[in-house]
Amino acid sequence: MEEKVNTAVCFCQHTNGHTDVVDISEVAAYAEEIPGVRTVWYTSSLPIADTREITRMITEEGISRIVLAGEQPGMYKTVFAKSLAAAGMKAENVVQAGFREHGAIKKFDTDRAKAILACAVYGVPFENAAIPEESDVHPDTLVIGGGISGIQASLEIADGNQKVYLLEKTGTIGGHMAMFDKTFPTLDCAACILTPKMVEVGQHQNIDLMTYCEVLGVSGEAGNYKVRILKKSKRVDPATCIGCGTCMEKCPKKAPSEFDAEISMRKAIYIPFPQAVPNKYLIDADNCTYVENGKCGICVKVCPVPDCIDLDQQDEEVEITVGNIVVATGFKPFDAKRVDQFGYGKFPNVITSLEFERLINAAGPTSGNIVFRSQDKKGNWIFNDESASPKSIALIHCVGSRDENYNKYCSKVCCMYSLKLAHLAKEKLPDAEVSEYYIDMRSFGKGYEEFYERIDNEGINIIRGRTAKIEESGDQLLLRSEDIEGGRLIEQKVDMVVLAVGLEARDDSEELAKMLGITQDENGWFNETNFLSDPVGTFAGGITIAGVCQGPKDIPDSVAQGSAAASRVLQSIIKGKVKKSIKDISLDYIESHAKKLSKIMEDKL
Amino acid sequence: MIQRVNPDLKKYLVKYGVQDWNECFHCGNCTAICPLTDQGFLFPRKAIRQVQMGLKTSLASNFDPWLCYYCGECSETCPRDANPGELMMSLRRYLTSVYDWTGFSKLFYTKKIWEFLTIIILFILVIASFVVWFPKEQIANFTTYIGDHSFLKVIEAGDLIMAAVVAFVLISNIFRMWYLTILKPKYKVPFIEYFRGIYVLPGVFASQISFRKCDTDGRLYWVNHLLLMTGYTLMFILVVVFLPKFQVSEVYNWYHWQRLLGYYATFGLLFGLSAMFIGRWRKKSEKFKFSHLSDWLFIIMLFLTTLTGILVHIFRLADMPYATYYLYIIHLAVLVPMICVEVPFSKWSHLAYRPFSIYFYYLKKAALSKQHKSKLAAAA
Repeated sequence: MEEKVNTAVCFCQHTNGHTDVVDISEVAAYAEEIPGVRTVWYTSSLPIADTREITRMITEEGISRIVLAGEQPGMYKTVFAKSLAAAGMKAENVVQAGFREHGAIKKFDTDRAKAILACAVYGVPFENAAIPEESDVHPDTLVIGGGISGIQASLEIADGNQKVYLLEKTGTIGGHMAMFDKTFPTLDCAACILTPKMVEVGQHQNIDLMTYCEVLGVSGEAGNYKVRILKKSKRVDPATCIGCGTCMEKCPKKAPSEFDAEISMRKAIYIPFPQAVPNKYLIDADNCTYVENGKCGICVKVCPVPDCIDLDQQDEEVEITVGNIVVATGFKPFDAKRVDQFGYGKFPNVITSLEFERLINAAGPTSGNIVFRSQDKKGNWIFNDESASPKSIALIHCVGSRDENYNKYCSKVCCMYSLKLAHLAKEKLPDAEVSEYYIDMRSFGKGYEEFYERIDNEGINIIRGRTAKIEESGDQLLLRSEDIEGGRLIEQKVDMVVLAVGLEARDDSEELAKMLGITQDENGWFNETNFLSDPVGTFAGGITIAGVCQGPKDIPDSVAQGSAAASRVLQSIIKGKVKKSIKDISLDYIESHAKKLSKIMEDKL
Repeated sequence: MIQRVNPDLKKYLVKYGVQDWNECFHCGNCTAICPLTDQGFLFPRKAIRQVQMGLKTSLASNFDPWLCYYCGECSETCPRDANPGELMMSLRRYLTSVYDWTGFSKLFYTKKIWEFLTIIILFILVIASFVVWFPKEQIANFTTYIGDHSFLKVIEAGDLIMAAVVAFVLISNIFRMWYLTILKPKYKVPFIEYFRGIYVLPGVFASQISFRKCDTDGRLYWVNHLLLMTGYTLMFILVVVFLPKFQVSEVYNWYHWQRLLGYYATFGLLFGLSAMFIGRWRKKSEKFKFSHLSDWLFIIMLFLTTLTGILVHIFRLADMPYATYYLYIIHLAVLVPMICVEVPFSKWSHLAYRPFSIYFYYLKKAALSKQHKSKLAAAA
């Protein structure tokens, strides 16, 4: 006679106060209905450290198989395997139903969680039971975001002889990396690595570069997406613009330069930076006097090319058809104004790391001179080349990161870029006193720890302790911190403070996620299919993610993910097929499929 | 100093209200943002470390919690939501029980039932003694008998006995505090400093001046506390020391010093108590987010005492002897357990420990600076 298998389903889910998670009570009710499930347990009410007690429960109920269900239930496996073995059953009969692993994270995914559980109870791998259908793929690809990750993905796909639309919101590709001076840990010049790639993108015959554009909507299905794109009017014809710059010289209207992290002013008709791709002028409609009240038009008069500038040009909408979409939208820096104690926005010489990055950049507004912030004639706070240089600089780590009041996560790059900035500051101002205040030094990669040691030996005060507040003290800034290792209170006066701001998901990422049908985690980063084994895939078919929009990461990782996303795209193009969204498969389908498979497996045995 | 690590200390401290001590990752934010932190007094982080590591001996010799007035800045800005401010509050409760050699404090804080029981027993005892010993024929003219010489003598004697017992317990506990915090950790305080430092005591007791440093961002904790504290102290002195002048048969004019002082004390008590009550009820400010049973008992008992005191006064003015008599009994029946439980063993003992902690702070600083100087001399 065949031995009856009694399964116990044990839920190992901790909500940690989050509300938008898989509804465990609903899944538990479903679990009780599955044939073969004898009992339902919860780790929260089990004596989890006491294997003897669990063994007793197993023997009492006659359990021979345990399914661990939860977000990441792996950590409990050993406990149950031991208990099961102690009860005289096979220790390998502990099966995991990992919700997160298979994409059931939010409340919305409760049905998916049920399917995952059902597969685990039937003993069928989820991947085998839930096979999405495949559809034909359109060979063109859309890459959203022209930062280093998007550039890398576009180049890889285009080099594979496939057509790529590279969509960028601002007037130039390059993203945040173009703003940096040096990269850690090798202290390579960022521009020297990035600009050749940018130029290549601009010249590539397979890349249709769409700068100053936004995604309006996405329809269709995997393999055949129709994407509506808003081409914001540049008001300058890129085909005829010769980039002479006369218009910019004469333009009377100024606005803060986005590329310089708003520490310098640019004109209303501008080129984001000298190495911009495409290297053509465009007009910022929000600041143009002509667009505002119809009186000006100086640029039209001075332009040497007839009909190049058309101030009345309107935005237009285009629609493209693509088979795959790579999302590489990047991040926004944390808004340091939110941290009251640091007085950013109140004290002119408390600046963010991105501002300091532009300040220290030889191609920046001060040609790399570190100077105090000063007011121009119109009262704008800018960095003037002629101002004095600070004699002491302090860098504060973890601004807006690892903080329950702002973002809980570690932004990963701040420790390293702060060390880099400290090094550059010391290089530019050898007599200046440079200090760093950190909580934990996270130098996590190849050559990074060595880089930290190198900087530590360069005469920079690296102090363990989070600065609590910054106050003004005469012309200087007074920092109050505890030196954890020295066991004393530090009140240091410095001339300039650099806040190492963390990375945050972009404000528009929620909108984009809805359009594309992909999900976000609680911090706004896009969800990958599997953190470990598929960091660029999403549950929406034909859509991959790359770079910081998936989670904070440094340049090498962003480049690697760009390539990874490209390989996923090329794979589907070569195959000619792309998997549809796993979301389209119903619970009933997975359930019956799993039943069928488990029947086949039993028959074979 | 060799000391034993006590891994169960954290579990034990839960009863005093400590919450999630393990959240702290030691960034030092709380220490640096605290307006009262000083070189050598790196609270609250140091105390968190001691709790995390289970260093019971170090914790007992740490009087930093008494220097903290709980402005809540550390808890507000803590990147880990570890509530360092509330930890200091809980440690004040714990230290009270450490200093108290009688063991009552520990009993009251850890086993709520005993605190209630003691209060109820004392309440009944006071009422019973009135029922047994009070001359019945005097009830009808109680509004004037309240100031009678013979009656006053009995009440005054009771007052003084109570004051003596409370003072004895508190003073002996202060000696224990001195032993634990200065003597045992072997701080070499120059003998002369004990006399030099003594001037801080009355000033600190009367003004709580360092509390003012915590009133940034428009907070008014110091004013509230000052009103409550002066009101209470004034009333205590009037009732215990000047009872024959305060509790008299005739009713003076409203502008008589005795009535004015009484009114000020009542106002101070009511104002301070209401601010505390509203704060703890609304839980908006960090200071009042978490309330231990002893915090509520303190407010309720003091409020009842004040209320019954006011009613006694009103009924006397309205010449209602029976109402005055009953209210007077209830007034005493609430007041006696409040003083006997709260002052030596519970929340109110801070009236002694806080000023003395500042005195010891002065001594420890002197010892540290002497140590520092001798080190410098040795190095030279």
